[in-house]
Amino acid sequence: MNTEATAVQTAPGVGDSASFERHLSLSALPESWKNWKKEYWEKYEELPFPRTRDEHWRFASRIDFDLSGFQLAEDASDDTIEEVLSRSNLVAERSGQIVFVDNQLVSEEAIPEELAARGVVFLPLAEAVTKHPELVERYLFQESTDLGSDKFHALHNAYSESGYLLYVPDNVEIDAPFAVYHWHAAPGAALFPHILVVGGRNSRFSVVDAQQSLFEDRTGFSCAVGNVFAEDGAKIYRRTIQNFNNRMVSFQLDTNNVDRDTAVRGINLNLGSRRARFENEVRINGAGADVKLYSLTVAENDQEFDQRTLQIHNAPNAVSDLLYKNALMDHSRTIFSGLIKVAKDAQQTDAYQTNRNLLLNDTAQANSLPGLEIEANDVKCSHGATTGQLDRDELFYFLQRGIPKRIAQQLMVFGFFEEVIEQFDNEELEENLRGLIQAKFEKKQLDAVTPKMETT
Amino acid sequence: MSQLEIKNLNAGIAGQSILKDFSLTVPKGEVHALMGPNGTGKSTLAKVLAGHEDYEVESGSVLMDGEEILGKEPDEVARDGLFLAFQYPLEIPGVSIANFIRAALQARQEDGEKFDAPAYYRRLYEKMNILQIDKKFSARSVNEGFSGGEKKRCEILQMSMLEPSYCVMDETDSGLDIDALKIVANGVNLMRGPDRGILVITHYQRLLDYIVPDKVHVMYEGRIVHSGEKELALELEEKGYDWVRDELATTAS
Amino acid sequence: MSQTDAIDIDREKGNFRFDVKYEYDAGTGLSEETIDYISKAKDEEQWINDFRKRALKVFERLPMPTHWATKDLENIVFENIRYYLSQGQMPSRSWDDVPDEVKETFERLGIPEQERKFLAGVEAQFDSEAAYSRMQDSLEDEGVIFVGSSEGLKKYPHIFKKYFGKVIPTNDNKFSALNSAVFSGGSFIYVPPGVKLKQPLQAYFRINAESFGQFERTLIIADEGAEVTYMEGCTAPKFETSTLHSAVVELVALKGAKIQYITVQNWSNNVFNLVTKRAWAEEGAEVKWIDCNIGSRLTMKYPGVVLKGRKARGEVISIALANDGQHQDTGAKMVHQADDTTSNIISKSISVGKGRSTYRGLVHMPDHLKGCKNNTECDALLINTNSRTDTYPAINVQGNGNSVQHEASVSKVSAEQIFYMMQRGLSEGEAMSLAVNGFVNDLVRQFPMEYSVELKRLIDMEMEGSVG
Repeated sequence: MNTEATAVQTAPGVGDSASFERHLSLSALPESWKNWKKEYWEKYEELPFPRTRDEHWRFASRIDFDLSGFQLAEDASDDTIEEVLSRSNLVAERSGQIVFVDNQLVSEEAIPEELAARGVVFLPLAEAVTKHPELVERYLFQESTDLGSDKFHALHNAYSESGYLLYVPDNVEIDAPFAVYHWHAAPGAALFPHILVVGGRNSRFSVVDAQQSLFEDRTGFSCAVGNVFAEDGAKIYRRTIQNFNNRMVSFQLDTNNVDRDTAVRGINLNLGSRRARFENEVRINGAGADVKLYSLTVAENDQEFDQRTLQIHNAPNAVSDLLYKNALMDHSRTIFSGLIKVAKDAQQTDAYQTNRNLLLNDTAQANSLPGLEIEANDVKCSHGATTGQLDRDELFYFLQRGIPKRIAQQLMVFGFFEEVIEQFDNEELEENLRGLIQAKFEKKQLDAVTPKMETT
Repeated sequence: MSQLEIKNLNAGIAGQSILKDFSLTVPKGEVHALMGPNGTGKSTLAKVLAGHEDYEVESGSVLMDGEEILGKEPDEVARDGLFLAFQYPLEIPGVSIANFIRAALQARQEDGEKFDAPAYYRRLYEKMNILQIDKKFSARSVNEGFSGGEKKRCEILQMSMLEPSYCVMDETDSGLDIDALKIVANGVNLMRGPDRGILVITHYQRLLDYIVPDKVHVMYEGRIVHSGEKELALELEEKGYDWVRDELATTAS
Repeated sequence: MSQTDAIDIDREKGNFRFDVKYEYDAGTGLSEETIDYISKAKDEEQWINDFRKRALKVFERLPMPTHWATKDLENIVFENIRYYLSQGQMPSRSWDDVPDEVKETFERLGIPEQERKFLAGVEAQFDSEAAYSRMQDSLEDEGVIFVGSSEGLKKYPHIFKKYFGKVIPTNDNKFSALNSAVFSGGSFIYVPPGVKLKQPLQAYFRINAESFGQFERTLIIADEGAEVTYMEGCTAPKFETSTLHSAVVELVALKGAKIQYITVQNWSNNVFNLVTKRAWAEEGAEVKWIDCNIGSRLTMKYPGVVLKGRKARGEVISIALANDGQHQDTGAKMVHQADDTTSNIISKSISVGKGRSTYRGLVHMPDHLKGCKNNTECDALLINTNSRTDTYPAINVQGNGNSVQHEASVSKVSAEQIFYMMQRGLSEGEAMSLAVNGFVNDLVRQFPMEYSVELKRLIDMEMEGSVG
């Protein structure tokens, strides 16, 4: 382990062109992909770092953009791989599983014969590029972000070759989820997970992405990009768990392109990272689409979770509904900035956005920027944002039943979470996730309750 | 000593005194009714007994089986055996009834004692059956979206599961139609017994047709002004609370 | 519509002008010379001239805020604007002494009549200076001061200098800097401790000249326990060229004081109305902004309350109506700086035709505070397919038992509701007017009676021709 650490520290950081040149020279990818990489690297170098006065970075703390401490990691040791595989256990009943450690593919579980026969593709990107060039050509790196992190998006595209393609052809319906683990292990490792999910017409399936750290005390940087494409009538459910250790800096830049009559759901559980930036964009391009977005964030210590969302309605008669819940402890901060954009011709749109922040300590800080831009008149759009504490009367009710304060608070907090957790819609996963959340509450003193009513 | 004994209690909220030298004793094995007009301090009494931190106690004492409970934390008082059925039960989103009652029972266990889940559910469903609550309710969030009657039945369910020594029932009849009232009263009557004292706080006599009290007390402006047998409730029903007021005015002059 | 006659008169109410010979004219364009001209005309002390010149530098340094605001701001050509026009600096105390054409202007706008009926004092500003200013004698006896900005700074520096430019510093934004450089007119008001004005004070702002910029400056101080209601109205004729109105309004409510500030903004559709309004509320004080924006080409205005003392209370009630060619970019700011402070924001906007209404809000509760509350509701009504609305609140909460609740909704008038009213014999336009009036009714009721009637009529006028 020690030798690994030293080796990494002498290498240039991923923001350094020497690092990129080295990466390119070692890459075994086809020339066409390498040319993309060069383009994106140039774009990365051209684009300025975001400033906190940019609207898309409003309320964000000054971010330390120094990437010199983060490098592409060497291959993991056998011990690490063994450990990682034993802990990749959130979903037992599944249609397939792929595991990465620090960008390195360490396990690839074949999908059932029957699915392969029907044309389902679930492959690491590097493999997909040779086996299904037409899919890769059509969907890979086609997306950009409109929410402020274009420089990091370019950096991701310049480096990323780990990640996977999940393609489910027309009319194929699959019950058990696909599972993918993106582990962080080496000190200072830079991760670039790429998630590409394509659902053909009337397909139905779900996928779970888990981003975790193997060690609690190691720094790292992760810049993930996830692109979902839902063709007419597709029903896709993407679940994401971000549970890196609290020393990580992480970005997750997601887009969802949604066609006619689709039902697309996205849910995120955010627990880890020192600084976590999450951008999620939904583009509704077909009438009758139904999109639901959920997120639950549990913030502690000096963690900062910065969430930016965009629900774009370009087609009529579609529904989008967003619920982001944040629970904040200690000195943590959250930022929720969401915008619903309804284009001129997108009549009969129903679009909603709800942000609920629960302050569990006086020192935590919640910021909300819920926005609406509406250019069609026959719409139902609303947003709501609340920030408050555990209700003192509810707490008294628990106490009166003999339940000690500490347990009462936890029950109330988990009650607040439950609305989102139950949307994971997978009992095994829900139980595992409750366990992950529970761990964050060990030894916490929660002191914030609503103030006493003043009788006048 | 087996009694809930309230002695010369003076208490209030936000600097306003409400209970004035209030005294009342409810022995185990008896059901007492406390009646009185709105704003006379009945609910304040319930909250003070349960140790609500927003209420200020100026003086007096409350002995439960001889032990002072004023100044204790609300959860401690509850585990010592006092149960308050709320006039307005709170809605607790995301916490199921089953988990809520289970947490309350576990809080009463000795350290290291194992919780017998199957036995718990058997008992829970049995009680739900008596109170005519659908089993499915056990998975629903506490009181969330419940009708007035459902909330009150849920209170009685908790009471019967926790088996307290003393029950204080704050306006349990408010918001109930006659069918729900009978179910609730039946639940309470099943809990009557030599090991339990019950204080029923109510504005109307109606509930007392179904829960027949051993004693009736009339409260007015923060203290008890009349005590008697169950017939007192009927007399009060007939004459109205104006009678109490007029009578007091006469005594004072 | 049945009341077409009455409505036609109102619609054109402000659209007339008289040729006026100005004794003072600073010419077009803005430079240090312009400022010296204004200072000389007003016979100002050196510190004010210095204040103006510093402000000019800030104005020149600050960029247009187009990184968040509309690009329409770039259409303002500062060098084509006339910054100071007047016929003299001292307002008349009697309407008889007001020059005829100016007097007739205000008579047509109904100001002397309103004064007689329900006002405690009136100031009527014509371009850069007040032509008329008068307050009930009894109030003067009680120590109430109601004068223009120049007079206030000259005669009562011990009262006004302390707060002038403090609630809204020069560099708050580009337009507060512009105002600080060339301000003229406006009301300086001081209400002594415990004095409660039963009737409102009113100011009326009239732009008469083309390619002109009006930059009034208002400072209202309500001393401990004092109460005052101030109302402002405004009109301008429809010119071909654009006109600029950029005011700075500072309110100071000391311990236990109450200030209510009511605006009915009905500028013509060529006016850029870029106004900065902010209040300080000390312990137990209450400040309420009631703001109605119907006119102008572009309005950018976010009245704010800085809640500086315990249990202070701030409120913004806002109605905006944006028709074709209009952008009402309005909102509210609530900055909590003391424990147990509460704030309330209710905003309703209506977008008609291609009109655009925007809400921007800021609620700030830092970590050392406890027991603060904010409630915000913004509702937008869209009338036509091309109508547009945006909502951009920013909420920042920390601290002990602080809570914030924000709700916003966008909707259109329900077709069933319109059908129901038409079935009772109303035309579609009348039904729409009724529905829209219903939408804002609870807020309109917060205006004084005389204004709420006027508001309803203005809304009816704007709704005319919005259907069919």
